[in-house]
Amino acid sequence: MSARRSLDATLAALADPSRRRVVELLGARPHRAGELAEALGLSAPAMSRHLKALKQSGLVEEAHPDFDARVRVYALKREGLSALKTWVDRTETMWTSQLSAFKAHVEKRR
Amino acid sequence: MSSSVLVALRVKADPDIAFDVFTQEIGEWWRPDSLFQITPRGDGVLAFEGEEGGRLVTRLASGKIYEIGKVTEWRRGERLGFTWRQATFAPDLSTRVEVKFESVGEETRVTVSHFGWTSVPREHVARHGFPDRITQLRAADWWRRSLVALQKKMETQ
Repeated sequence: MSARRSLDATLAALADPSRRRVVELLGARPHRAGELAEALGLSAPAMSRHLKALKQSGLVEEAHPDFDARVRVYALKREGLSALKTWVDRTETMWTSQLSAFKAHVEKRR
Repeated sequence: MSSSVLVALRVKADPDIAFDVFTQEIGEWWRPDSLFQITPRGDGVLAFEGEEGGRLVTRLASGKIYEIGKVTEWRRGERLGFTWRQATFAPDLSTRVEVKFESVGEETRVTVSHFGWTSVPREHVARHGFPDRITQLRAADWWRRSLVALQKKMETQ
């Protein structure tokens, strides 16, 4: 996925508050789908749809804990957040530069 | 995890003037950035058209007008809000910018907050029965750290 498409997918996935909450929970430790559904008060099919969207965005991946390969858990994918971090960094740089230009302009005209 | 950007600085002007210059003369002070362009054909000349309910547009070298976003809030000398969509964003994706103007002595502190997504309405949180507290705490942490960095920047100005 290109960096741009990856950012689109990340922001779109995070536009939903339930999915943001899942990302926060997974930031603490991997969870099973059932645990996530319970924590958010959502039905299993609704949680399944959110997890699918998060997987497609590259933010979340399925993993199997060491103690049992049959158990499926969801975990945060480290690379998934890099597009978001890049966007934040670039946007911050953009506004820092634009506000300096604005300041120079305001103070020049007076 | 941070999803918002906050940048602030002080300008030597009162809040009304700062607001007027920000909105009316954006085409003059906006500095096109080759690294982070609004459209693949450059930034163009930006302009606010209308107040609340109006829009922020840019006129490209070709003469074509690209709508960056809608004006959501227009309070002269206090606050300006608009949505922000770069041409490379997905069609259904929009981000949000808030600009705050605050009087500090004879100067104005201008704070730009750029959010990667629309904030969660309180009813939504209540309806789903979970608090967004963790998200809010982390955002607050991030803002605090950013403000420390900005204070340092301002002191060296």
